Amino acid sequence: MSENQHPQAQSGTATTDSDQPLATTTGETVEETQDEWTEFEFQGEAKMSVENLDVYYGDDHALKGVSMDIPEKSVTALIGPSGCGKSTYLRCLNRMNDRISSARIDGSVRLGGQEVYQDGVNLVELRKRVGMVFQSPNPFPKSIRENIAYGPKKHGDLDTGLLARLLNRSDAEERDELVERCLRDAALWDEVSDRLDDNALGLSGGQQQRLCIARCLSVDPEIILMDEPASALDPIATAKIEDLIDDLSEEYTVVIVTHNMQQAARISDQTAVFLTGGELVEYGETDQVFEDPNSERVEDYISGKFG
Amino acid sequence: MAGASETDTQLVEQETTETDAVAGVAIGLSAVLFALAVAAMFERVSLTGTIAGVQTVTLLGGLLTALGVAVIAFGVGSRFGYVETDPDPSAGLIAGFGAAVPWIVVGGAVTLQTLGLSPTVSVFGGLVVGAVAFALTVLPREDVGSTLPLGALLGLTGLVFLTGVIGPTWVWELDWAQRAAITAEFFIPVATLFTTLYGGWASAKAYGGFGARGRHMGAYVLVYLNAFSIVAFLFILVAFVVVQGIPGLLNGVELGLGTGPQTTILGVSVTLPVSVPFVMNGVALFNDFQGVLPAIVGTVWLVAGAVTLAVPLGVGAAVFLTEYADRGRFTQVVEVATNGLWSTPSIVFGLFGFAFLIPRFGNGKSLLSGMITLGFMLLPLVVITSREAMLSVPDEYRDASAALGVTKWQTIRSVVLPAALPGVVTGVILGVGRIAGETAPILLTMAGGTFIPGSQTVDVIGGFQFTTSPPFVANPALLEATSALPYQLYALISAGVGASSNVGNADEFRWATALVLLMVVLSFYAIGIATRYYFRRQLKHT
Repeated sequence: MSENQHPQAQSGTATTDSDQPLATTTGETVEETQDEWTEFEFQGEAKMSVENLDVYYGDDHALKGVSMDIPEKSVTALIGPSGCGKSTYLRCLNRMNDRISSARIDGSVRLGGQEVYQDGVNLVELRKRVGMVFQSPNPFPKSIRENIAYGPKKHGDLDTGLLARLLNRSDAEERDELVERCLRDAALWDEVSDRLDDNALGLSGGQQQRLCIARCLSVDPEIILMDEPASALDPIATAKIEDLIDDLSEEYTVVIVTHNMQQAARISDQTAVFLTGGELVEYGETDQVFEDPNSERVEDYISGKFG
Repeated sequence: MAGASETDTQLVEQETTETDAVAGVAIGLSAVLFALAVAAMFERVSLTGTIAGVQTVTLLGGLLTALGVAVIAFGVGSRFGYVETDPDPSAGLIAGFGAAVPWIVVGGAVTLQTLGLSPTVSVFGGLVVGAVAFALTVLPREDVGSTLPLGALLGLTGLVFLTGVIGPTWVWELDWAQRAAITAEFFIPVATLFTTLYGGWASAKAYGGFGARGRHMGAYVLVYLNAFSIVAFLFILVAFVVVQGIPGLLNGVELGLGTGPQTTILGVSVTLPVSVPFVMNGVALFNDFQGVLPAIVGTVWLVAGAVTLAVPLGVGAAVFLTEYADRGRFTQVVEVATNGLWSTPSIVFGLFGFAFLIPRFGNGKSLLSGMITLGFMLLPLVVITSREAMLSVPDEYRDASAALGVTKWQTIRSVVLPAALPGVVTGVILGVGRIAGETAPILLTMAGGTFIPGSQTVDVIGGFQFTTSPPFVANPALLEATSALPYQLYALISAGVGASSNVGNADEFRWATALVLLMVVLSFYAIGIATRYYFRRQLKHT
């Protein structure tokens, strides 16, 4: 599956999107909030590129003209004080904000060159390719095995239902292979391999969060969005998650929101700093952002003068 | 060590002393009296009889007096320092009002009846006596305030019983226009019950040494006595029906191979090894023993049909309201409407069935009309409880599922509904409890009679027939009038004595019908609770 990274690219909808009007792009009006500090030049391809993204919740302008490109197979950290729009930004990447009825989104988000915000986007396909892990661990009240197999089953990739078993077409073996692979990738296999049929709610918080990561891997995503994945966990569980993120970045593109600046400095390749008001203030290599930020506000924030 | 022990004693609970034992005995006495009063109220203990060789009323009076004396002795002993306690300066306003209420009653009754004064004066007299009790409770230190007025009340009640002022044959004819009378059978248990509650409260406070700890003990005893009495009332109610119903139910029971009627179970004809005529027969002229089989079968089918109709509709409506409709005016209106429907009197539903359904189903009362009417009655509760259950499914599950690219409907089916099922089942259990006992809608839509012949037992499964014209399936059994237990019970009672010749002992027959109704409803409960347990287990320990 991972070789076939752009199944939609061949379909032609996105490559010829010049005739498709983009969702109202109002680049000129927000140009002044962008400056050279947020232009991050990197080698290689941009996995996702965001241009002039504005998000409104009712009258609240939550995200103001954000443009940033996310490089492939790396860890991008989004940091900033509470309410600065970093989670909002993250949830735009897989259109989870669609689920909030008051949210209005202007701008362009491209995944591998294809516009995400246009009519006819297949949300199922988008969210399969852009997975998400949430702040608090949220496994389903089902067995560990069922949790992992849930996504592929619902997408019709695995069939272990009664009818399939009766017709001797059950994919139980494929399912078990998938479960093992995902749990190994999420560094959880050794801890739960003997109790795959136990309820996932019986796991510890850290294990639950790794199970959620494993569940996210089960649909073979290209990008994994993480919304403060370790904020509800103790330091040891956090360290495990951080190690896991490091491993995952070899295969996947990881975008992680975090409150914890040390965590961002430890695990990320590049860091974007959002500040109150929903602006992207600085974006660059993590070392550069933390050691020698261009913006004074960012320097104040990082050194703890405000936040 | 010696120096430390002094501070220790304040932390460590004091050992049980003789005085504590007195208070403990007083609490035990209250419990005994409470149980006796409940038993007397339900005539399990005869007021005119004796217990352990003592007249019941005398025994109650003696125990009450002893309890009152013990409570007062403890309080006064504490006031003069014979008993080590930790009282507050005052027993508080709540205790004051608590003591004033029974004394108002006592004062009013004495001025009106014993002194023979006019009602206006007696109201005044009651208020004066109540105010004195209030002052005696609130003004002195807590140990006296929370024992003296209540102890005196107990002692007074006990003496009234002991001296025979109110004896087992006492009747108070109320002189008003209504023909009401308060008899000893009612008054003595109730008075004992209430005064005992006060006695238990006061002695529990004393046992705790007054103060914060004493109040805690008092509340503890009151809460426990309350819980105990509720359970006891429930138990007594069920036991009462069982005791009365068993003789009729077991009339003509036979055990042994080949004694029972022939039944077809899954296509195999079996002769049951047990014969219980009451639940296996209808009523017929030449039956040795008569029974209520048609009504039992009717009730079961009625509930099954109503549930089959209401659950899919109700759960579907709840899915729409919680998952698809935006929360706004529309959902609010639906919410108000469903709540209103649930509190609509059942006779109104019955009338709807009578006026709307019956003309559409062959112009006669039928099982189908009853099923649909009761289904509509059940529907609002299923909607309300399913909605609550789905709202309480955490949004995190929905987010997690959506983030995997799973569609909304699949999320609802695979995550939301399974998590909400125990709540939905709870709603159905509650609703079935209500509709299985409904009489009025059945009266209007399904009818039946006082005594139903066995031939009227509906055979819904066997009633399906294929026809040559649309809709190609017909089921005459659904369109026949049949009976259900609550309606038959009502018909039996309203038929009065004249019906008795047919069934031998009509009273036994009625009680047995009531018992069978209770058993049928409880079996539905049992099924529901087992289902809920199953679904909960699925969620918690897969």
